[in-house]
Amino acid sequence: MLYRLKRLCTVRFIISLMLLFSVAYAAYSAYYKVRYWGFSFAPKDKTNVWTIEANIQYEADGSPVKISLATPVSSDDYKILDEDIVAAGYKSSKENGRLILTSQPRDGLQNVYYRILLFDNESAKGKVEAPLPPTPEKPVYSEQTEAIANELLELAKKFQGDLPQQLIRLFNQVPPEPTVVAFLPMKKTPKIVAETIERLLSYKGIPSRLARGIKLAEDKKSFAPDLMLEAYIGNRWKLYNLTTGQIGLPADFIIFQRGGNSLLDLEGGFDSSVKFSVLKSVTTSFDLAGKRAKIADDSKNFENSIYNLPVNEQNTIKWLMIFPLAILVIALIRNVIGLQTMGTFTPMLLAMALVKTGLIPGLICFAIIISIGLLIRTLFSKLNLLLVPRISAVVICVILIIQAMTVYGYHFNTNITASAASFPIIIMAWVIERASITWEEEGPFNAGRQILFSMIAAILTYFIICNETIRYIMFAFNELNLVILFLVMLLGTYTGYRLTELKRFRPLVK
Amino acid sequence: MFQWLSKYFASPAELRNAGILGMNSRNFKFIAKLNKRNLYPLVDDKVQTKALALQYGINTPRLIGIIEYQHEVNKLLELVKDWNSFVIKPAHGSGGKGVLVIKSHDLNTFTTPSGRILSYKEIYQHISNTLSGLYSLGGQYDTAVIEEMVNFSHIFDNYSYQGIPDVRVIVYKGYPVMAMTRLATAASGGRANLHQGAVGVGLDVKTGRTLKAVMRNMPITHHPDTGADLSKIEVPFWREHLLIGAKAYEMTGLGYLGADIVLDADKGPMMLELNARPGLAVQIANGIGLGKVLKKVDKYYPKRLSPEERVDFILTGIKPERKK
Repeated sequence: MLYRLKRLCTVRFIISLMLLFSVAYAAYSAYYKVRYWGFSFAPKDKTNVWTIEANIQYEADGSPVKISLATPVSSDDYKILDEDIVAAGYKSSKENGRLILTSQPRDGLQNVYYRILLFDNESAKGKVEAPLPPTPEKPVYSEQTEAIANELLELAKKFQGDLPQQLIRLFNQVPPEPTVVAFLPMKKTPKIVAETIERLLSYKGIPSRLARGIKLAEDKKSFAPDLMLEAYIGNRWKLYNLTTGQIGLPADFIIFQRGGNSLLDLEGGFDSSVKFSVLKSVTTSFDLAGKRAKIADDSKNFENSIYNLPVNEQNTIKWLMIFPLAILVIALIRNVIGLQTMGTFTPMLLAMALVKTGLIPGLICFAIIISIGLLIRTLFSKLNLLLVPRISAVVICVILIIQAMTVYGYHFNTNITASAASFPIIIMAWVIERASITWEEEGPFNAGRQILFSMIAAILTYFIICNETIRYIMFAFNELNLVILFLVMLLGTYTGYRLTELKRFRPLVK
Repeated sequence: MFQWLSKYFASPAELRNAGILGMNSRNFKFIAKLNKRNLYPLVDDKVQTKALALQYGINTPRLIGIIEYQHEVNKLLELVKDWNSFVIKPAHGSGGKGVLVIKSHDLNTFTTPSGRILSYKEIYQHISNTLSGLYSLGGQYDTAVIEEMVNFSHIFDNYSYQGIPDVRVIVYKGYPVMAMTRLATAASGGRANLHQGAVGVGLDVKTGRTLKAVMRNMPITHHPDTGADLSKIEVPFWREHLLIGAKAYEMTGLGYLGADIVLDADKGPMMLELNARPGLAVQIANGIGLGKVLKKVDKYYPKRLSPEERVDFILTGIKPERKK
């Protein structure tokens, strides 16, 4: 007895242990997929994907061409999924985050396109601490300029915000202070203002730099990049709007280039310009997984996963991945609840059919097929046919019923009967056969009860597997099936009472 | 709310205290552990069961012959020409399916106990159907077993609506631990299935006398159709009944089995068939939980006894003295 108890414990113990392992593995794997592949737990989680197109236009002057364009660096906020260059006859390379295009001498108006695909990593935005940049060199001002600079800094104090904000607001004041006018050159462009503020900040020892970027907005075409000021304050780079002084990255803003370097350098041409176009598209996080895996240097794992298969195969597997859960439900219904159903997995297969047809049409369809089938089967039982030919005949009858219902459904435009074809033919034939035998041997009451219990089990299973989220999760985090495997095995050692036995054996309890 | 619940449902703790054996527990702790799969054919195939029973000295209806192949069907007349009555059974049948009893015949017409007259062609068709698996589990090809008809003792005549009741003995590790008889009623359609409304009579395993009678889970005292007093049942040759069950353990090696036994007026108790997965309804008929009985066997009953010694231990409660 003790020995048996011991053995029982170890079987259970081993399975429980495996279950724990599989849970841990599934948890790790889910974490991995979320972290590196960008999977999410909700099926319809959408990610914004931006296509940015930079159109470089210039007039070639007949000498060798070298174009150098600042390109955005993948940050935690935006990840570059894909790059694409449309520039026939150019050699392209990347150097210090700049795109270099070289070509033989050219003539006339030239157009080069550079396209990137970015995705929006909302969760990571603005949380990155930057390392301390070197203290900037103090600008060399003449004595007079220095005096004006000090005066400006003094004047700025009456504005709100931190120093860069105060300066921006001072410079944007309307009408401008005479001191400001005096400090700036005659031709006042945003770039010159920005550079002036940058110098003033350096004078106060605050590292700052200019940043060029573009605001991602839907279907924006042919626009020049915006200029912004970045200052290192409080251990991180803060971005300032050069007209309002507002701090922070505007929503959907992507920085192309930072610091003093120009956005575009061109040799061998003149009248150059860069115009940007932005196109927004929305994709499920799922479709992006492969590209994200590539960025995370994890393409090997991804290539070997089911998510790299062609869509057709993926859909097949997606359908398969729901079976283990349905099987678990059936195992629970039979061994824990204790409902006696027709055939072990018949309710599961019926539930699968219900998912395809929808609950109510499916049930009506099922009822029609079974009723007509039973009627025909009753006629058969009078003929005393042998088992295999008899069941074969029932199968053929089921096919004929389904065909008739589909034709009827088409002509009268009722979806209800048209969904008949989704039912598994062989399973239906067996349900009819079993019901008919039960009917003959144990009476119509027992036959009806068995069909009813099978339907209850099927409907219970249906409600679990018809849920889009559950289906998605079973596919996206398919290692959960391993957990289910060990759960089912653990259920194989369950020796407690079934729910129905609590009723069945009630008379034995005083 | 909870009162309503406890009127219809027992709590698991209550069942456990009553020592009720549940289906999961039966399958996992007893059937899976004590009944080796390779032994199942011994009880599922009546031809094998019969041959083994002969070896172990267990009384069964005598075998007249078997018909295995279609071309042998005509052998029937040769087999039964010296027998006035006989029974045709599928070797892999269960629950009385496909059993044809012939009370008398003249090689041309065959008469059943209910008086129906069948032609030889109909008998031929019946055997043909049996061979092709019409009555066997799963529809596999089967063998027709022709055996002598049991001359049922009249002791049960009043207790059943139709047919002859048999005694089911549950045998655990060779010990007969529980017994019952199932009596068909009009409500059960003449069938001996408790869940269809047959009467279950629990028999005291020590005496063969009625413990309790239930129908549809409710205690009753008299048969609903024949009106027979169910509390008066006392199965004769009880020791022999138990002995068949006890011997079936040695014969099959199954640690948990059910033996179906009928009483022949001339030859005494006879084993009809064995079951490797006997149901749990016997608990309801006896009003006793099987779980606690099996536990008692594991704990207190002596091991390595002969079938006779085990039966005597059950009947008297005295452990046999062992010679060293």
